[in-house]
Amino acid sequence: MTSIPASIPAEAVRPTATRSIDWWRWGGRVFLVFLLIFTVLPMAWMLLTSIKTQFAALQYPPQWWPAEPTLQNYTRLLDPSGSIGKEFLLYFWNSFYVSLATTILGVAVAVPAAYAFSRFRFPGRTFLFFAVLLRNMFPAVVFLVPLFLLMRWLGLVNTHGSLILTYLTFGLPLSIWLLKGFFDNIPIQLEQAARIDGATRFQAFLLIVMPLSSPGIIATSIFSFIGAWNEYVYAYTFLSKQETMTLPVGIQRFFTEFATDWPGLMAATFMMSVPVVVLFLVLQKYFVRALTEGAVKH
Amino acid sequence: MSSVTGQVAYAGAPVAPKRANVFKRIFNHRNDYLYVLPALLVMLIVIAYPVYYTIELSFFKTPPNLQMKDKIFVGLDNYWAILKSDSFREVTINTAIWTVASTFFAFLLGLGAALSLHREFAGRGVMRAVLLIPYVVSAVAASYVWKWLYHSDFGVIGALAVQLGLSDKPINFLDNVHTVLPSLIVVNIWKEFSFAMIMLMAGLQTVPEQLLRAAQVDGANAWQRFWHVTFPHLKGVSMVTVLLLMVANFNSFIIPWIMTGGGPAGASDIWITQIYTIAFGRQRYGVASAYAVILFIVMMTLGYFYVKALTKGDESRAG
Repeated sequence: MTSIPASIPAEAVRPTATRSIDWWRWGGRVFLVFLLIFTVLPMAWMLLTSIKTQFAALQYPPQWWPAEPTLQNYTRLLDPSGSIGKEFLLYFWNSFYVSLATTILGVAVAVPAAYAFSRFRFPGRTFLFFAVLLRNMFPAVVFLVPLFLLMRWLGLVNTHGSLILTYLTFGLPLSIWLLKGFFDNIPIQLEQAARIDGATRFQAFLLIVMPLSSPGIIATSIFSFIGAWNEYVYAYTFLSKQETMTLPVGIQRFFTEFATDWPGLMAATFMMSVPVVVLFLVLQKYFVRALTEGAVKH
Repeated sequence: MSSVTGQVAYAGAPVAPKRANVFKRIFNHRNDYLYVLPALLVMLIVIAYPVYYTIELSFFKTPPNLQMKDKIFVGLDNYWAILKSDSFREVTINTAIWTVASTFFAFLLGLGAALSLHREFAGRGVMRAVLLIPYVVSAVAASYVWKWLYHSDFGVIGALAVQLGLSDKPINFLDNVHTVLPSLIVVNIWKEFSFAMIMLMAGLQTVPEQLLRAAQVDGANAWQRFWHVTFPHLKGVSMVTVLLLMVANFNSFIIPWIMTGGGPAGASDIWITQIYTIAFGRQRYGVASAYAVILFIVMMTLGYFYVKALTKGDESRAG
């Protein structure tokens, strides 16, 4: 705590100090209101547009409030007997399947690695750890050409396997980093006690460390699920067959074919956002912790 | 920065004797590597190999049909072609504006939000959650929504501008070379300012409350307390946040790609969209790889600072 100046200039002491605090507080409130409007308006307009007909949406000046609100855009998306509904539900399922597989495999691979980085002192540990972390710095596009060729060579183009494998590696560095932070906070004495009582290292890990680190595992899982759900670049490049497409790639297909059906597109974007927003709202605490883990030392 | 880190987790972890032979140490720890092996294996296939292959391809002229056995060695020609091309300067300037402006404003808004939300008040949790939603939703969704907001005939922003008397006809945001890049930057800021907010809110929790109170007792006003007490404590987390934002912005593809595809006339083309167009539009993988390598070098430089900013804390932790 050396960075605090030893003394504060004497002229700072003035009777108006209490009044200026209020100004700052009010400034903060006004700023927050502005930010809230900036954040919410686009989402509100998306929702309002999604309950309009195409005719109502393409009017100038716009109908600020839909004159005849309709849910037809949503029923069309969710109706498995219609052609649009069938496609949409297929993309939705594909996204779900790929994201879930990525999450489960990712956690299974990241947990032992993070544990090793947290507990063991093997040669090359620091190097390996930062090599893993540096991955975060590479843009997806750098890997696109060679990965596309690699997937072609492996025969994985147009399969979900290509996406799962790619998302897995791209999620791993962050997952390992997050989990290591959580493992670091579990006292090693607990494991040592278990070892003394006759548990093997693996048993100690499975029965002591794993249950204690479940918040970390939840946080890591949400992160990798949301990341996979939202991913676009690889899915856009690897998948060209309609039946394998995930939502981010798929939705542009059926609403922009001739003239863009904006209300339909807004309804689809809304549906696409629902799973991640719900996941985020329910598990917010873990999400926020995952986001800041490692960057802030308490 | 305070170096108090609470628990030192691996105080009792087995530590190999220093100065032992490297091979002996590796041998002694052979079981430890088993834990890391699956992760390393996956990373090796999907990361190490592509990095190597990109560097290799950057020296070759590649056939458009992806039959890589027909590629021709051209030395540094791909690099020269990029550096000498007319578009390189423009695209680089766009990339710099995009990265710096997005990072700067996202950080600024995030800092303001974090400071305003730091104090407890009714509805604070709800507000934080709402502000975070743009960060959570997919950039694809954000791009479509904003494309609709910016629509040249029926966009709500243009209509609002007319209603408020700021313009006499709807504004064409995305089809104008002067407004397209700022318009996209606004979308990007909307999407990511709450990331900075969350990071800085976590950082604010490390500022000791007593210090702030002591400064207040000594007569420091709000600005002085922020500048002399709060801000020094936020330095580390600010550093990491700015770096992560810069990396993310440098690498962002979805917003410009979906909203404009780099247009009109390349006015919103940045490095990443350019690389994508060269590779998958013009099928010139060699040139695209060379471009990727240049980008890679810039990222490595940023990465160096990132690791440095991170290890600063880690050393005190591993102590």
